[in-house]
Parts: sequence; structure tokens; C-alpha cells
Amino acid sequence: MNRITRLVLQRLGSLLATLVIMSFIIFMLVEIMPGDVAQMILGQSATEEAVAALREARGLNDPVLQRYVRWVGALATGDLGESIYMQGVAINSILWRRVGHSLVLALAAFILFVPLSIFLGVLAGVKEKKPTDSVISFFGLATMALPEFVSGVILITVFAVTLDWFPIVSVIPIGETLFGNLDILVLPALSITFVMFGYVSRMQRSSMISVMNSDYVRAAILKGMPRRYVIFRHALKNALLPTITIIGMNMGWLFGGLVVVETLFGFPGMGSLLMTAIKTRDVPLIEACVLLITVIYSLSTMVTDIMYSYLNPRIRYQGGQR
Amino acid sequence: MKRVMLLVLVFVVASAMVFAGGGKETGPEPKTIRIAEQVPGLITPGVWDGQAFSMNSSIYEYLVEINTETGAIDPVLATSWSTDDGSVWTFNLRKEVKFHDGTAFDAEDVKYTIERTQDPAIGHLKKQDFEVVSSIETPDPHTVVIRLHESRPTFIYQLTDYNMPMLSSSYDYAKLGESKPMGTGPFVMQQLIPKESAALVRNTAYWATDLPKVDRLSIYFVADIDASISMLESDRVDVVPFVTPVIKNRLDSVDGISVISPYQEQRFISMAVDQKPFDDNRVRLALKYAMDPQVIARSVAQMDLNDGIYYNETPIMNMLAEYKDLPLRGRDIEKSKQLLAEAGYPHGVSVELYYASDHPFGKELSQTIQELAAPAGFDIELKGFTRDIYLSQYWLNVPFSITGWGGRIDPSMLLALAFKTGGSWNESHLSDSRVDALIDKISAEVDVEKRTGYYHELQQLFFEEGSLINVQVPYLVAINDRVIGYRQPLTMIPQYKYMDIR
Repeated sequence: MNRITRLVLQRLGSLLATLVIMSFIIFMLVEIMPGDVAQMILGQSATEEAVAALREARGLNDPVLQRYVRWVGALATGDLGESIYMQGVAINSILWRRVGHSLVLALAAFILFVPLSIFLGVLAGVKEKKPTDSVISFFGLATMALPEFVSGVILITVFAVTLDWFPIVSVIPIGETLFGNLDILVLPALSITFVMFGYVSRMQRSSMISVMNSDYVRAAILKGMPRRYVIFRHALKNALLPTITIIGMNMGWLFGGLVVVETLFGFPGMGSLLMTAIKTRDVPLIEACVLLITVIYSLSTMVTDIMYSYLNPRIRYQGGQR
Repeated sequence: MKRVMLLVLVFVVASAMVFAGGGKETGPEPKTIRIAEQVPGLITPGVWDGQAFSMNSSIYEYLVEINTETGAIDPVLATSWSTDDGSVWTFNLRKEVKFHDGTAFDAEDVKYTIERTQDPAIGHLKKQDFEVVSSIETPDPHTVVIRLHESRPTFIYQLTDYNMPMLSSSYDYAKLGESKPMGTGPFVMQQLIPKESAALVRNTAYWATDLPKVDRLSIYFVADIDASISMLESDRVDVVPFVTPVIKNRLDSVDGISVISPYQEQRFISMAVDQKPFDDNRVRLALKYAMDPQVIARSVAQMDLNDGIYYNETPIMNMLAEYKDLPLRGRDIEKSKQLLAEAGYPHGVSVELYYASDHPFGKELSQTIQELAAPAGFDIELKGFTRDIYLSQYWLNVPFSITGWGGRIDPSMLLALAFKTGGSWNESHLSDSRVDALIDKISAEVDVEKRTGYYHELQQLFFEEGSLINVQVPYLVAINDRVIGYRQPLTMIPQYKYMDIR
């Protein structure tokens, strides 16, 4: 069997195990969240009878394990259950629309920050200790230090309030689609770029510096090859490896954990849905969202590992050398 | 690299195909009021939790409604009504009214709606209030006769409760109530995207031909109030309810946006009369003497007293006709200390104050009370919990608490639930035969003047030895000045059919 195929199969197996364990942990964590769902839903004017009727109707009175097994059983058939509020509305019909929105936002951010951070990281690495490096490093550190809810507010103030270039909030007008309103992606994507730029460009810079100081690069330069050729053909390929790891590790966050950014901008993605679900103690919806984020994290880690071993011959051929 | 670009392109095109759909509409711009509301919980009438007011109150409709200007009861689905001594009620229903699904509205629907309150499977929030109904007759399709177990001269106010819109007896609300709300109201649900938005359009078959005044309601469900305000300021929405006083202060300086307070909500600061230290009326009085209503108004709502926020020591709201204009006690720390000493607490007293920390005004009110009471010798420890935990674990069991109570246009029902011996929400554990007798007289008295007299007697009793301080905090709505005629009475039901857009 091909080594890559074996790796993928191995990884898929451990992904499955992770999911089973995580599903149990998620279910139990939500279970021990303080408060009473039925009371939460019905509010103060709820009589004990009303609360009891609701608990019974939503199956909240059954033993924990029974509910867990029921939930996992349904999950296995692709049924995420119903929102505790929207009776008759499957979570599937709420969730995937939001996931689609989040994917588009993640992609927009990805297109923005990956080339930008890599390019500036390479530039800083090549121009080590020169003014260009200092400026890029300073910006990298500054954006890294700013949490997204601060950078988001700054972006809103500058680009939406003062310059009026982009909308302040990223809601999709009723009756329209995300693709008719792509401008709402810009500020949230920029805000994510702020967070990611620092990490990625700094990683790129340091790996570039170490590669540029390696013997083979020095040899290439001394051989009289054009500097640009050496940087892009020889050095960059090797210097990209740690950067890819960093980007890959953050893909999970990027695709599933944008709770703060989405809530700040009112963007109708999965992060803001999770926030709403937690605020209203919508247990089945919380479980569905968190589990999906777990899947995304595991998958992105897996893809990173595979890509890494594909790009790095030392890892790829390790088995063969043994 | 080319391959990567190709992949990205394929992804973009594929997602565009998935999400493509309705483009922007053309033609004359329909008149639309846009609203940013909180994300609704349950919306089926009966278990409706009191969110998503703009949506539900535009789809559903009631037998009668409150006139926001006069406070009188106006006909809606009932054209007229009569009663003898308050135990038999006859309603004449409007003809030619149709539900959104095309079926006709008639007396059977009224019967169904009221009988539905007693269905144990629903857990109807108005079950208790309608237990008084003994029978419902429908002599013809447009007449309903409701018989009560006892005389209830103010029974009609129960039909203005937001959980009592008229429902179709042939519609499956258990299955469709959450996803496809359907009533006789001025607007019809066009599209509901769960937890995101709702698009409502004018009901073309509406019985009042000149209403509603606008063509559409676009309702966004936004979890974060700051995001809602951003939408208002950037002209993406016209109305944002549940605004905080801090936001009001900021918006006051913004041109084209007004913050109004259509009504107040009550916060009962309750002292349990059967638990130490408030079992002694002198301790209750000591706390009242330590309060400064103006300071409470300023620090809780950043408003002046009697200008959007009110204070009294009775269960009756200042704005109601039944309210007896009692004088403010005036802050007197010496008297407060003296009362505490007489009650056996010369060195002060420690007590825990329980409240819902995530409920509007909860934190501010509890902290202000703590500060104001401290000089008199009250060492108050604040015990804030999220609202569901507060309500399910502490409320009704603790000696000292702050609880939110919606305003009641007819206070008699609230009195029976909250202050009568054995009342199910009797948080101060009051058991006073004089109070019980007055509450009974109030709910049975047909003569308005006599009833008001009983209300005044009751309030005097509360002023002298009562178990609560009633702070009435403003419910605030931020509105773009383009919207004219915003109406929302104490029943909390906004009347969007009368609102127009400039």
C-alpha cells in the first residue's frame, strides 16, 4: 500500500476515535452546564406545569446515557436533531447555511492573509535587520497583540464610519444572498488577517533567515546565481514548511471558531450561531456546532500532516530508510 | 501554483452556484420597516417567551387591543362585547375575517384558542389565568359566550395578553407553530430563516382595508445589541427594541434617531415577611427609609425620577389609573438606624440580596440598593445568578430578592398570584387576611369607582407595612425618525399595522 494512502487511512481511523471521545465529552460538558433549559426557554411566567410539560415534550427527563445514545445514534445517520426552540425545524436546515457562509468568509480571509503574510515574511527574512524588516516585524507584533474585537472596532471606525467604504455590520439584507453582498466580507476578513498576519509572517521570516544562512543557499549565491532565483527557487520551498504547519493548525480556528469576529460584525456564520445557541442554552444546537468544529479541526490537522509529509522528503521517505 | 489557482476558482464558482438565488428586486420600492430584534426562543402562542414581538404581533391578532393613546380597549377581531356582573361574557365577532391559509375565522376558533390554554401537553403560560372559564358556547359562527366560575369584571384584559392571539382550530400549531406561524394578522410570513431573519409582507386579504400602512416588515434576529445599534446607525434597520440606558445616552446626540420608552417594566425588591430579618416590619421600613428614589433613578436608568423611571412601595405602577399618589418617604438614615435598633439590630444587619445578573437593570439596581442601605447598617451581600438559575433555584425561596415583572394593564391578576396567601408567585410569602380580603374584593367588584377605592386601601396598607419596593424601569426602543406612529402599549405588543414610513 502506498505510504500516503496508509497515512490517510491511519489518520481517518484516529479521527473517528477522536470524534467518539469528543462527542461524549461535549455531551457531558453541556450536560453539566448550570441552569435549566426548560426554565430558560419559558422565562419567569412559566408555571411548574409548563416547565414540566416542556421538559417531557423535549425528552429532557430521560436519563443522561439514554439521551447520549439516542443523540449519537441519530448522528450516525446524519441527523443532528432539532433545535430545542425550533420544533419541527431540523438543525441540518439551520446549520449548513451558516457553515457555507463561514466557509466563504474563511476563504476570503485565507486569500487575503496567506499571500500577504508569506510575501512580507520572506521580504523581512531576506532584508534581516534592515529598516524593511523592522517595519514589517513591528506591524506583525502589533497586529498579533491586538485581539480581534479591538482590531475589528478599529477597522469599523476607519473603513466603515470615517471612510464609509464598507458596511459597518456584515448582515445579509433580507431576500438577498451572500454573493450579492460580497462587500460585507471585507472587514471581517481583514480583522482575521490582522490576527493571522503576525503569526504567519514571523514564522516565515525566521525560517527564511535560517534557510538563507544554510550552506546550500550560500553555495548557490557564491556560484553566482541570481539572488531572486535563489530566494524563490531554492530557499522559499524549504522555508515554507513551518509556515504551512502554522497555517494548517489555524485552519480549524479559521473555519469553525470565528465566534468573536462573526458576533462583532453580526455575520451570519457558524460562530455567531454557536454564540446564539450558547446564550439561549440550545443544547442540541451547541452539540452540533461544537462537534462540527471538532471535525474541522481534526480534518485540517490531518490535511496539514499529509501535506507536510508530501512536501518534506525527509518525512516522506523516513519509512523507506528504516 | 496554477493548479492551486484552478482549485480556488472551482471552489468559488461552486459556492456561488450553491448560494446563488434571489437577486435584488426591481420595480417600485415597497414601503418597508426594518427591525433588529433579539434572537427569538419559542414563538408558538401559548409558550411564546416574549421575544420577537414585532414578528409575532404582526402575524397574529387578538380579540381586542389596548389603545396606546387613551388606554381604552379597542375592538379587533371582536367588534363588541358585553357582560352582566363579569361572570358571563358575550363577544360578537368580526365577519369576513380570514386566516392566512384562507380559512375563515369564526367562533369555533375562539373556543379552540381558549380551551387550548388548559391542554396539559402544551404547558400553556396562561393556563392559570383561564382556569376560571367554566364553559364556552358558540350560538352562531360570530358569537361566543364565555361563562366563568366566578365574577371577573376585568376578565377581558386577559384577552390582551401576548400569549392569547386567536388561533385557527384547523391548523397544527404543535407542528408548525415554530416554523410557519399563521394567524389573521396584518402581515403574512413570507420567509423565515431560523435564528437569522424573517420577511413579512402585507396581508392583502386583511379585514381593515386601509391597514397595514407599510408593505413589508424585514426583521433581523441579532444576538448582540451593539451590532443592532450599528445597524441602526448605518441605516440598515429602522427599529431596535430593548436598548439600554447607556446606549440611549449615546443615541440622544445622534441626528435622526430617537429613543422612546413606550412603557415601564416592574422590578420588585421583595422582602420575605416570614424570614429574618424582614419578618419585622421595622426592618422593612428601615430599608425603605434608607432608599433615595432619585439616586436609584439616576444610577439605574440615568434618567430623572418620574421621567421614564418610577418608584413606589406598592404593587401598582405609577402610570395606572388605579395608582394612589402616595408621597415619597424621603431618605432618613437616622430614622432607619433607629428602626433597626428597635427591631433588635443596633449594630446593623447582614442580608443576602438575590437577583438575575443578566436581566436588564438587575446589576445596577442591586448595587445601588447595596450602597444606599449601607449607611443605615444594612450589610448586603449581592448574590447574582443568570436568570434561569435565579428563577429555578432561588426565586420564591430567599429572604431578599429582585425580580422582573412585566407591567399588567389589569393589576388584579398579578395581585392574586404574587401577594395573596398561597399565591403561586408569592415571593414575599405574604399572608395577611386584610390583603387577601382586599384582593378578593378588587377582582370581584364591578363598579370601577369602588374598585379603585379598594386599590387605594391596599396601597396604603403596602405603604405602611408592605413587603416590597417597586422600581419601574423603562423599556426603551431606538427608532429612526423616518418611522412614524410607533405604538406599543403596556401589553408589550407593538402595533406595526398603524406605523408608517416617511
